[in-house]
Parts: sequence; C-alpha cells; structure tokens
Amino acid sequence: MEAIISIENLKKRYSNGVEAVKNVSFSIEKSEIFGFLGPNGAGKTTTIKVIIGLLRATSGKVYVDGIDITKNPNGVRNLIGYASQETSVDDNLTGWENLSIQGKLYHIPIKEIEERGKELLSMFNLWDRRFDLVSTYSGGMRKRLDISLALIHRPKILFLDEPTLGLDIQTRVSIWDYIRKLRCDFGMTIFLTTHYMEEADELCDRVAIIDMGEIKAIDKPGKLKEIIGGDIITFTLKDGENKNRFLEEIKRIENITNVKLLSNGIYQVIVTQNGDKIIPELFKKSNDLNVEIDSVRLKRPSLDDVYLYFTGRSIRETEESKEDIMRRNITIRRARR
Amino acid sequence: MIRFINDVCTICKRELIKFFRQKTRIFATIIQPLIWLGLMGNTMSRLTNNPFTSQIFGTSNYLSFMTPGIVIMTSLFGGIFGGSSIIWDRRIGYLDKLLSSPINRTSIPVGKALSSMIQAAMQSSIIILIAYIFGVRFVTGIPGIIVIVFFCMLFTFIFAGLSLIIGTTLKTIETFFTIINFFTLPITFSSTALFPLEAMPKWLQFIARINPLSYAVNPIRTLTIKGWELSSLVQGLLVILLFDAIMFMLMFQTYRRLTTE
Repeated sequence: MEAIISIENLKKRYSNGVEAVKNVSFSIEKSEIFGFLGPNGAGKTTTIKVIIGLLRATSGKVYVDGIDITKNPNGVRNLIGYASQETSVDDNLTGWENLSIQGKLYHIPIKEIEERGKELLSMFNLWDRRFDLVSTYSGGMRKRLDISLALIHRPKILFLDEPTLGLDIQTRVSIWDYIRKLRCDFGMTIFLTTHYMEEADELCDRVAIIDMGEIKAIDKPGKLKEIIGGDIITFTLKDGENKNRFLEEIKRIENITNVKLLSNGIYQVIVTQNGDKIIPELFKKSNDLNVEIDSVRLKRPSLDDVYLYFTGRSIRETEESKEDIMRRNITIRRARR
Repeated sequence: MIRFINDVCTICKRELIKFFRQKTRIFATIIQPLIWLGLMGNTMSRLTNNPFTSQIFGTSNYLSFMTPGIVIMTSLFGGIFGGSSIIWDRRIGYLDKLLSSPINRTSIPVGKALSSMIQAAMQSSIIILIAYIFGVRFVTGIPGIIVIVFFCMLFTFIFAGLSLIIGTTLKTIETFFTIINFFTLPITFSSTALFPLEAMPKWLQFIARINPLSYAVNPIRTLTIKGWELSSLVQGLLVILLFDAIMFMLMFQTYRRLTTE
C-alpha cells in the first residue's frame, strides 16, 4: 500500500509555550479510514490543522500525496476537504448558498457547482431543505451540510475533526454510514479524530491513540485489543493495612499479567484467560489478608480499555484554554438544536 | 488577477447576502443618519444664523455644512465595524474554511472591505436623500453626488482595512468593540467633519490637519457648498488613495501569513 499522508517528527509549540504535539510520526495509506483517538486537549486538532496548513509546524515534515504543505500549500488544499469540529457552516445563509460559495472558493465553474451540489445534497438528504436558512437546520443536518461542503471539490482526502461531537446516537450512526459510503464509493482516504471509542472501533481501519501530544499506540483496533490481552477485572478496595501486600500477592496468581492503579483507588487486573475463575481467587486472597473488596467487575477488552491502558487516567484535568472550552461548548450547543 | 477579482466577489457576495438578510441592520442604517441630521442638525442650526459664523462655516445653512460630516462619519463607522466579521468568522470556524481553501488570501479582507464600501455607498446615498428632504441643496448636482459617494467608498476602505487587520489579532468581539469605540469618536471630533477648522483651538487644528477624516470631508464639503474646486478634490483624492494603498499593503502582509493559531 502506498502512503498518502506521511508525517515525520512533527512538533508544534504554540506561542504561549504549550507543546501541543511532541515529535509525532505516522503515515496514512490510500483509501484508509484512519482515526485519531484521544482525550480533549491531546493534540488531535492541532495535528490536523498542521497537516492542512492552518497552523505552521514548529518542526518536522508533512507530505500530502507527496506534496510538502510548506512549499505548495494550494497544491495540498485542492486535494483535501476539511470539516472542522465547530461545524463551520454559515447560519445566516441557506444550505445552497453555503454550498455555492464553497464551490467558488475552490474555483469550480458554476455549472459544475450546480451538478455536484445536487449530487451531494441528495446523497446527504438535504436537497429538499436547500433553500432554507441553515439556522433552521438540526445539529445532524448542519454536520451533513458541513461534510458535503468539504466534498464539493472532490478531494482525495477528507479530514473530519470530531464528526459526531454532541450528536445523538441515531444521527451518529447515520454519519458513520455516510463516512463508510465515501470510502466504498469513491475510495476516499478519511482521517478523523474522535474521543468516542465506539466510533473509532466501528469505523476505523487503524487507530492512533494520542495523549499529551504523543502517539501512544497505533494499529488496527483488533490488534490494539490484543495488546491488552484477555479479560479485564477492575476492582476497588476499602482501605486496610494489608492492601499493598494483597496487591503484591495477586500478581503471583496464574494468568494475571498486570495489576495497575487507574485512579481513585480503582485497580485494573489483566488476565490472559478465564477471568471468571480468577475472581473467586481474588476473594480468597482478600479474605486471607483481611482486605475488603468493595466492588468488582469483569469485562472483555474493548477499545476503552486499550485507551485507558495507554492514557492512564480515566478522568483528567486537561490543559485547555478558555477559548477551546468556549468553542466546544458552542459546538455542542449548536449540534443539539 | 481575474482569479483575485473572482475571489473578492465571492467573499463580498457572502457578506452582502448576510447584510440584506438582517432587517434590523438595514433599518438602523437608515434611522441613524436621520437622527443625526434631524436632531443634531436642528439643534445646531442657530450657529449659522449669525453672519460672522456663517462666514466661518462657508454657508448660511448649518445642515449643508454638517451633511458631508455625517456622510463621512457614517462611512467611518461602517468601515471600522467591518472587522467584526473576521472575528465572528474565526469564532464560528468559518475562517478555517476560508484559510483551508485555495483562494487568494488578500481577497478575504478586500472582499469584506468591498462589502463595507458598498454598504457605505448605499448609506451615503440615503443620507444625501434625507438631507435633500431637509432642504440641503448640493451645488454640483447629481454628478457631484456621484463623486461624493465615490469618495465615501474609497474612504471606507481605509478604516475597513484597519479594522480587518486589528480583527485578526483579537479573539473576542467584546475586546474589538472596546478598541474600536476607543478611537472612533476622537477621530470624528478631531476632524473637520462637524466643525470648521477656523473655529477650533490651535492644538486641535493641528490634529485636524493630519486626520485623514478631514481630507475625506473637505472635498465632499466643497462639492456640497462650493462647487467643482479641482485643487480640493485632487488633494483629498490623493491623500485617501495613499491611505488606501498603505492599507492594501498591510492587509496583504497580515493575511498572507495568517493562521488560525
């Protein structure tokens, strides 16, 4: 397979000193759906914005279809479509006006804009509402319109930044269908970011887990789950003097490969197989040592666990700027309309 | 070049569609000059009743003196608020769309400024019409009025450009308005828009002489109350064009390297 995007040692430090992306390298293959999975403020949007030339990299190289964005920005811009996190359609214009202006921004002849516009709006089920102001659209319709705007110039690569942020589950599933269709029908390469595990699991051929500006893991969702191994037991403990000894002892139980503290006293035990048979053994040990187990849960590995395994904490204080938070709130508010 | 003009038209078209859709904004553009002329013009009209002052003002009708001032002041306001659209576009993410498309970067501010210029042309025409109803007679007639509107448009470009440049450095509309309000009124009142140079104290005369607003208002006033006086027109035109050119260069520089950081 040939790489359509390749990133080498990308670094981005903002003028306020925040290092949003630290030395990231990866490549995306043609016709691949590639997902960037990470918490808010992990550096997902920054990476996308550097690739499409909205931000300048502090150092490193970015090639899109062999073109260096810093040398030939317009060459790259004609190859890519971008639908931002904010669903940046203009509320005070109709759907059709949004589309025709977008077409003109890409210097497409008017006749062609009309043909493609009809095709796109029909595909995204917006044709009947094309002459209505976007401010009357629902969150899902706005998102669909935004994606169709990003496709007007028939890009080879589509960048979707948090395509389903703030949308309800039915709308989310329908957006997923559209994304799959784009790849199937047009062989488009799709780069999306998300912090929803099921989205990455469901859609992506490969997933990169990014946290604090670094790629922690990159592989097929199935392979990532294999890294974690078999089953996962999470439990919480009541405070007791033998707590640490208990944790040491259970590491010696057969089939337990790792014991990790996640947060707030939640422990994660990774078991190669037969997690259900390990639980009684945990209780036996805890009885022997007089440690009280508060709650226990057994689960098959999901991408969630892979994610938590690599990013460490379940809830986090992100270092987002006030501006980022405000923008996200606007996005969510607008999407829920 | 043709592509640049096309890009400018695309950006401008978007702004104008939005402008015409906002009924309150259109209403405000009509009502505001009406208030200025009706209220301010009438309260001050006694100023020119006295033969000595009417000589300073150059007319016995204060409204005739003031109309060019109101025309240019409205252009100043219209232009200088034009920059708010770039902040709004940044906030809703539309700026990302513009910057990630292959359009000419300079066409973004120029297109937005053009839409401010067109709005200023409409506004000044409305003011001139209202002034006519209030009894102001333009000595140069219709050709003079066309030139006045043309001057307004060129003048609007200066301050639209300035505010579109300031707008790129700001993140919130609130800060933008604070900064803009900070200098619109001082610019207006330190110019010859509302009062003649001769009636000002020396220090203010000095400021009024370097204020671009004075250079825009002088030729318009000449056309309104004096007639076709070429030297005044050419001087005004050259100064305005000089400022326009400087703004164009600054816009080019600012938007060429603009990122969404």
